[in-house]
Amino acid sequence: MIDVFIVGAGPAGLSAANVCAKNGLKVKVVDEFMKAGGRLLGQLHEEPDGTWWNGIEEAKKLNDEAQQLKVEVDCGVSVYNIKKQNKSWKVYTTKGKFQTKALLLATGAAETAIPIPGWTLPGVMSIGAAQVMTNVHRVKVGDRGVVVGINILSAAITRELQLAGIEVSSMYLPGKNIATGDHGNPILTMKSMLKVASLAPSKLIRIGSKLMKSESLHPLALKFYPKSGIKVWGMPVHLRKAVIEIVGEKKVEGVRVAKVDLNGEPIVSTEEFIPVDFVCIAGGLYPLVELAAITGCPFQYVSELGGHVPVHSEKMKTPLEGLYVAGNITGIESAKVAMKQGTVAGYSVVQDLSNKKEAFQVQLKQAIQTVEETRNQAVIQFHPDIRTGRKKVYMSFKDKGLMKKRDFYGT
Amino acid sequence: MERRNTEVLIIGGGVIGASIGYYAAKSGIEVTIIDKGDIACGTSSRCDGNILAIDKEPGFDSQMSLESQKLVKQLSKELDLEFEYRAPGSILVCESEEEMIAAQSWVDRQKKAGLSFKMLDRSDIKQESPYFADDLLGGLECETDSTINPYLFTYSLFHGAIHYGAKVKLRCEVKGMRRNSETGLFHVNTDQGSIIAKKVVNAGGVWAPYIGNMLDLNIPIKPRKGHIIVASRNMPVGMRKVMEFGYLMSKFGKERTVDEETDKYGVALVFEPTESQNFLIGSSREFVGFNTKVDLDVVNCIARRTIRFYPKIADFLLIRTYAGLRPWTPDHLPIVSPVEQIPNYYIAAGHEGDGISLAAITGKLMTELLQEKSETIIPTHPIRFSRFQNVSTIQT
Amino acid sequence: MTNSRIVHHPILGRLQERGKIHFTFDDNEYIGYEGETIAAAMLANGERVLRSHEESGNLRGFYCNIGHCMECRVTVGNQKTVRACLSLIEEGMIVNSGKKLPTPFKKGETL
Repeated sequence: MIDVFIVGAGPAGLSAANVCAKNGLKVKVVDEFMKAGGRLLGQLHEEPDGTWWNGIEEAKKLNDEAQQLKVEVDCGVSVYNIKKQNKSWKVYTTKGKFQTKALLLATGAAETAIPIPGWTLPGVMSIGAAQVMTNVHRVKVGDRGVVVGINILSAAITRELQLAGIEVSSMYLPGKNIATGDHGNPILTMKSMLKVASLAPSKLIRIGSKLMKSESLHPLALKFYPKSGIKVWGMPVHLRKAVIEIVGEKKVEGVRVAKVDLNGEPIVSTEEFIPVDFVCIAGGLYPLVELAAITGCPFQYVSELGGHVPVHSEKMKTPLEGLYVAGNITGIESAKVAMKQGTVAGYSVVQDLSNKKEAFQVQLKQAIQTVEETRNQAVIQFHPDIRTGRKKVYMSFKDKGLMKKRDFYGT
Repeated sequence: MERRNTEVLIIGGGVIGASIGYYAAKSGIEVTIIDKGDIACGTSSRCDGNILAIDKEPGFDSQMSLESQKLVKQLSKELDLEFEYRAPGSILVCESEEEMIAAQSWVDRQKKAGLSFKMLDRSDIKQESPYFADDLLGGLECETDSTINPYLFTYSLFHGAIHYGAKVKLRCEVKGMRRNSETGLFHVNTDQGSIIAKKVVNAGGVWAPYIGNMLDLNIPIKPRKGHIIVASRNMPVGMRKVMEFGYLMSKFGKERTVDEETDKYGVALVFEPTESQNFLIGSSREFVGFNTKVDLDVVNCIARRTIRFYPKIADFLLIRTYAGLRPWTPDHLPIVSPVEQIPNYYIAAGHEGDGISLAAITGKLMTELLQEKSETIIPTHPIRFSRFQNVSTIQT
Repeated sequence: MTNSRIVHHPILGRLQERGKIHFTFDDNEYIGYEGETIAAAMLANGERVLRSHEESGNLRGFYCNIGHCMECRVTVGNQKTVRACLSLIEEGMIVNSGKKLPTPFKKGETL
């Protein structure tokens, strides 16, 4: 019997594993990817103080510590079923079945697709795919490409592609259709980008910050949005142009771009063809929750957190005994927050499996506070109302009446 | 008089609510559809996609399906969003002489009721698919049966309903309800504020009893859990829906000669090629409350049963499994009906595994009921709520 | 595409020396490096196509690159539906692209 089985060797999973192992628990971590680190791998950005946050190094630190603590980290393993057995969990993996007292799901996030015509052509990939190919596998995704979808994630990764010597010619909105929804809306996109403090040096923000004060000025800003886009890191960002089709016979050969009106509707006869050999689609992230669903854990839809999340407490406990969650499965935030959440989950497990419950009260409280502090210091905020979203979930956890009713509902 | 927000409030955004919303809006009724989650987030996305007469009790039940088939064919032409409509017919296969005899009487009764059924012999079965087990004796065929994608079908109906002016509120959970005895209006409290409606249609599926309870109605619907396996596209195994004859036995709760586990989980083969040529494989039937967790033991049992009929597909890959709750009623017929003791309150629920089959006819009929038409597309008596009025406890 | 491996990186530094791996994809011989996935090694060889759509025959490459989307499924040896983005190349590995399959009927058709 394992004390704690952790699914996901990312920032949350490894942080939790290390806390548990330090406190004498037998820990096993599995991950589908071939390397430990989760989506820390590939993250690369400049901090406000000018130093570089290198996700690969951060992942290595966590993994080295785990190895020292004799945590069993098994990569290239998939989990396909989870079952409650008496007081323990049985986890079915592609490398055998395991019995564990506590189960922590730290499965992270997945990317929302934005389907536009031609998006199945080889050479079209999610922005995260480009990040992994570039920074982890160190293979160029192409010579010259465009990014479709303007958000915090795509801006950050585009910068990383540039660092690796890959030319990204422009960032565009996706052409508006039934599937692209708000991603193709210039006003909503501008509003969300204006909240991104990390892009402060850009002209976009300087223009934007003046206009932010008044909602009624937003359309005006877009009306006078430069036709050539606004340059961020030397690359034009277009809020008034959209990719309406990706073109190519056997692979990407280029994109058709059109000017759009304030609502994102393409303006007739403004089309141009831009030759490129790759296209990155950036639809943002949502929590990856399938494994929580097969445990029977209740869910809640919280838009501020990026979608459906398993109901959980500030201590990272779910309403199911012995089931814990941490990291982006609980809502989309930065890797730094995920690490601190992992620490909280670790202490929760340690406390629950300990005979002296009070003994870890202080550490747990401290860890929860650290999550809060890390959140407050975050350079990148994926959603401006993240705290509201968090509160909603914690409330649901507390609301025992609601939980009971949800049982009835079966959600 | 109090201000009302909507003429008709439909509670439930599954295929039944969608169909009622579509037909009602199309006929000019002002409707609002609400759901506690999203479109088709319950049973309608955890099922397969058949418009079947083959498995319906001959008579009213199969006639109702036949009418629904006609409506769905029409919908495939009039709705803007395609929903993978095909009408290849369906077959039932028999593994014993007893089943062949029962199949013959099933065919005779269906034909008498005017449906296009016929028997199939051993060579017909071989012709149908080279993948069938060699020992299958034959089966029967219903020519008119059709197949759709349930998820797309529901979305398509919603899209059509919105086109005709229906309002849709999602993630809008009903917290409570009362009827003002003076005005006759319904005051529905939701987590998105209160809605005042002249008429209410409870299309809550397995949750219909919960909604009914708010006005002290005892609706005898119980959730019956069913699993589906999605197998990955491979060589073409067959072109149309295939079921084992034992499915009928399982559906109507009759005794079968199968192993203990197959019996316990109510497993009977249902094999459906989707338009993309993946395969939806079922089925199971269990009364285990509101639990929708996939049970791997049941999945294994379904897989074993599939291989019994299709031994050569044992190496096909499973890409997904899911489980849904079928709204079961004691007599296997749905409730599509006004409620006598509450004027302007209607129920459209309890279709068990026939929700997709009967959604179109349910939407059409409910619209006629809302319009208080004297003539309806099918007789209403067998599916009236009042047939359960004397049932105080639900037998399962 | 030229210089497809990112040997020098201003922040991440120089790419580590790794051993060569020989594998075949649809009977063509390729060389990759230890620790590379099928998808990465193929891309580094300038090949974006990993499969044909089973029905349309349209060509597909990797999309998400972390195992979620299943777009990059290939056959490795006798094993079907292997994710090229998660599977490391091995010496002598025989990889085949996903192929178009026969389609018995078309949309809306009545038998």
